[in-house]
Amino acid sequence: MEYILHILVMASLYVILATSFNLLIGFAGLFALSHAAFYGLGAYVTAILTTSLGMPFPIPLIAGVAFVAAVGVLVALPAIRVSGEYLVIISLALQIIVVEVILNWRGLTGGGDGIAGIPNITIFGGRLSSPGTFLPLAVAFAAGCFWIAWRLAHSPFGRALRAMRENASAAQACGKDLVYMKLTVFAFAAGLASIAGGLYAHYFNYVGPDGFTIDETIYILAMVILGGTGNLWGSVVGALVLVGLPEALKFINMPVDIADKARLVIYGALLILILRIRPEGILPEPQSRSVTATATAGGSQGKAQETLLKAEGSADAQPILEGRGLHKSFGGITAVSGFDIVMRRGQVTGLIGPNGAGKTTAFNLLTGFLKPDEGEIRYKDKSIAGLKPHQIVGAGVARSFQDLRLFTKMTVLENVVVALPRQSGDNVFKAYFAPRQVAREERENAERAMEVLRFVGLEDKADERAENLSYAEEKLLVVARLLATGAEVLLFDEPLSGLDGNALQEIFPVIRRLAEEGKTICIIEHNLDVIKTLCDTVYFLDEGHTMAVGSPDELMNDPELAERYFK
Amino acid sequence: MSTAILEARDLCAGYGKKQIVNGVSLSLNTGEVLLILGHNGAGKTTFVRALFGLMTPMAGQVLYEGKEITGRKPAANVADGIAFVPQGHGIFRSLSVHDNLELGGFVEPDKSVLPQRLEQINGLFPILKERASQTAGTLSGGQQQMLAIGMALMHEPRVLILDEPSIGLAPNLVERVMSSITEINQRFGTSILIIEQNVPLSLPIAHRAAVIKTGEVVYEGAPEPLQDHVKLMQLF
Amino acid sequence: MDLALQLLVNGVITGSHYALLGVGFGIIFATTRIVHFAYGPIFTVAAYMAWYSAAMLGLPIPVALLIAILAAVLLGVGSYVLLYEPFEKRQAPHLVPLIASLGLYIVLENLVGIIFGSGVRVVREFTNGIHFMGPVFFTTIHIWQVVVLVVLGGALAVFLRWTSYGKAVLAMTDNPEMARIIGIDTRKVAILVFAIGSAISAPSAVLILLKDGATTHMGFLAVFMAFVAVIVGGIGSIKGAVIGGFALGMVESLGMLRIPTEWQSSIAFMLLFLVVLLRPQGLFGAAMRR
Repeated sequence: MEYILHILVMASLYVILATSFNLLIGFAGLFALSHAAFYGLGAYVTAILTTSLGMPFPIPLIAGVAFVAAVGVLVALPAIRVSGEYLVIISLALQIIVVEVILNWRGLTGGGDGIAGIPNITIFGGRLSSPGTFLPLAVAFAAGCFWIAWRLAHSPFGRALRAMRENASAAQACGKDLVYMKLTVFAFAAGLASIAGGLYAHYFNYVGPDGFTIDETIYILAMVILGGTGNLWGSVVGALVLVGLPEALKFINMPVDIADKARLVIYGALLILILRIRPEGILPEPQSRSVTATATAGGSQGKAQETLLKAEGSADAQPILEGRGLHKSFGGITAVSGFDIVMRRGQVTGLIGPNGAGKTTAFNLLTGFLKPDEGEIRYKDKSIAGLKPHQIVGAGVARSFQDLRLFTKMTVLENVVVALPRQSGDNVFKAYFAPRQVAREERENAERAMEVLRFVGLEDKADERAENLSYAEEKLLVVARLLATGAEVLLFDEPLSGLDGNALQEIFPVIRRLAEEGKTICIIEHNLDVIKTLCDTVYFLDEGHTMAVGSPDELMNDPELAERYFK
Repeated sequence: MSTAILEARDLCAGYGKKQIVNGVSLSLNTGEVLLILGHNGAGKTTFVRALFGLMTPMAGQVLYEGKEITGRKPAANVADGIAFVPQGHGIFRSLSVHDNLELGGFVEPDKSVLPQRLEQINGLFPILKERASQTAGTLSGGQQQMLAIGMALMHEPRVLILDEPSIGLAPNLVERVMSSITEINQRFGTSILIIEQNVPLSLPIAHRAAVIKTGEVVYEGAPEPLQDHVKLMQLF
Repeated sequence: MDLALQLLVNGVITGSHYALLGVGFGIIFATTRIVHFAYGPIFTVAAYMAWYSAAMLGLPIPVALLIAILAAVLLGVGSYVLLYEPFEKRQAPHLVPLIASLGLYIVLENLVGIIFGSGVRVVREFTNGIHFMGPVFFTTIHIWQVVVLVVLGGALAVFLRWTSYGKAVLAMTDNPEMARIIGIDTRKVAILVFAIGSAISAPSAVLILLKDGATTHMGFLAVFMAFVAVIVGGIGSIKGAVIGGFALGMVESLGMLRIPTEWQSSIAFMLLFLVVLLRPQGLFGAAMRR
């Protein structure tokens, strides 16, 4: 009996570890292999503060959370700049450094001997010294941590995390601040892991360096993968299975040492097996239904149209976005030089020109994805050069990408909702401390998103995952997502390339209508039919600067430009 | 000039569920230079990649010398006499010019014929001989393109497919590349399929031309009518 | 001064060891883009096979080395064909093979523990000679570590430079799609580099066995340092892996002039942090195309 209770205590700790790790790798897509280090640091903070300073529970636990969350932020700093294999190796290095520090800083950590004599937790005069007495506390903490993780994952912030995982630059183009998001999710994941560590220290009355090595990180990783990345219940299942399953080995007679290793062999083999036969895990990532359900319940129609689709002024042809003397070179190669452009309210401006003329570079400069070497960018007479992409989106200039960059594993509706501006739930503290406000906004946002989907004609596909759309529908979703930003200036990078004639006929009126509503529109396009049909003014770019400006007809009947276009 | 050496029948191709080439039928006749024009994203590159086996067609057939080769791996196509020069960097930038050319003959079972072919290619592009030991990535754009074409010729292909060889080149270099394509066609009798956006400089070397738009052939025939650029703009 | 000279020599020796590991891991990574963590336990298996052959079966050390190489090659090629290739075929996201390789890592490492038992395994039949050159001291194994790098590194350079398949490896490292276009069978090349990379790990595993003995955890440091050497030197360049390995060995050794011994390996990580943050393309790598 005692033994089973012990297993349950361990399962509770691993529920905390697996769910918090899932936030990092499953939701945010940040593959940092240092979770056992966070766990270990939490355990040591508790061990040191209780034994050396005699602090009572829960002060050491809280101190541990603060300290380890700060360490998490430290790991996040490289994660701002690097990803993929680089993040793997950096976090692995951190994992090793932590164990090394524990081993070497003998005066503080006891080195290889660890720290013994950590007091049990005493609550209401009762000492939680047996598995049976500790279990309720462990379960309560597991539930609490799960709730914290759940709230984070299922808030607008969590949705933004998944968007970042699917495509970081597209998340930026939806106005998300990636630096804030990465720092926050690392702090949460690390802080939660340290809670498990603190409990571990109190429960075993001992901490040693062996339990927090890379093997432990892989063990927790196996739980997350087995349960299903991006699904917190999956991590609970993964933790229960991987803590419970190897206990069956106890009934086979073998030396403890061998049994320990056999346990690890089973973890590794299970990890490989699940990747082979069911890479999405036991419980695959759900499509968040809460948003969809509320949205389809319907609501005040036409409201979104006012707020999102209408621009501040009417289609009065006022200049809104201006680029002057823009210059950008990469290494020795000049991509854009002396480029001037004016975009007017209610008009569709076209950018055409041969391959490599600098059209996409121009978009990148205007939206902050690249910094101009020289030149000025003014939006409504304020300079926006030098702002970060998400700030420029917030100001009112948004863009789409030639290669779509949809959030493929998210639903159509979520793709749109994530781009909606000014969501208070993007701030994690609001997600915890102003849940009502966030929930109300969520309902409104779902309605607004449905409105946008109706506008482009995708309302029937709202619950579909973006990856299941047809190509033409994907293109419409790109338009919808761009619209949802609420920006006044919409820059479309080849919104129509690769579409056949019928699909073109679906998108033409959408873009035309946006201009009539007072949006400022610019499109890059190679299909000259599209330019002729849509644009009021066309800029002809070549070799990085404007060769001519005029109406589509003027430009296309100019033999000299035709010559250039076909050169 | 009548028998088709390489033929596409109702070829459809794309990425994932995004179909870009919508039933293109075109044939390259033995000994001719066929020019395919079209704007960016019209599906030209996808079409030739499907022809060459770099991607599996979604539907339709590819025939080479009368037998069906639909979806065959590039390695088999290369060994069978089809060469492909991709757009942009069709070279190994970190290797020397000489190594690049030698790799071009990778599928050749009898390596002893390579020195002689190398001579031929050096005759065609003398600059490659001068730069033999230079790292390919440090060549100028025009030289890189010549090297890419040279590599493709190393196994004496009967069909040469070129994807926008003029891209990013200055006009005089484009002329140089185009005239060497004519030379290859005449000297070795290689049948050549060339994709281009540079109309004025590629039209003169073509025996026949086609225009692709939104994944379909909208013009096929003599190159001359396409010389009127303003009219061509209507086709794009 | 004498100390500095000694540390310099130590740096060359450790650097050679890291460089060789970096080359083995790096040739696999550069060619296939697979982060092959199981390279670590394969290194361990090689050491244990050599130990078993030499200490238990009493075979001469060169024979034991051959057995170790054979085991490493079989495991390396096996892990590609049975584990990684199926993921490549279904075009799994590139972190999936990495996770799978962590799984394989933990399986192999613990299987070694189960089969051979824990505790340090040494070959008593071998005695390590000690040599002095002026004030500088080194052992026979140290000499071998440098010699093995020179010989194997040289042999690999010759293979890559002068043989048709060697050039195919370089071609695939440079531009995998172009390699397919000229008719290279990229699967064959992948198998080849897994064989070569694993084979290279065996001699250095045997040298560590003779020097310090074998432990089940020895592979971790091997793969980790190899990975760091590759990142520091620059992904995609085999020369870079050698330079990265030496940089690592030197920094680690010379750092001891100022920093206490027990923090030695942390110095390497500091170098790694600096390189990744300031120059992610590696010290000597060209900016990679992604």
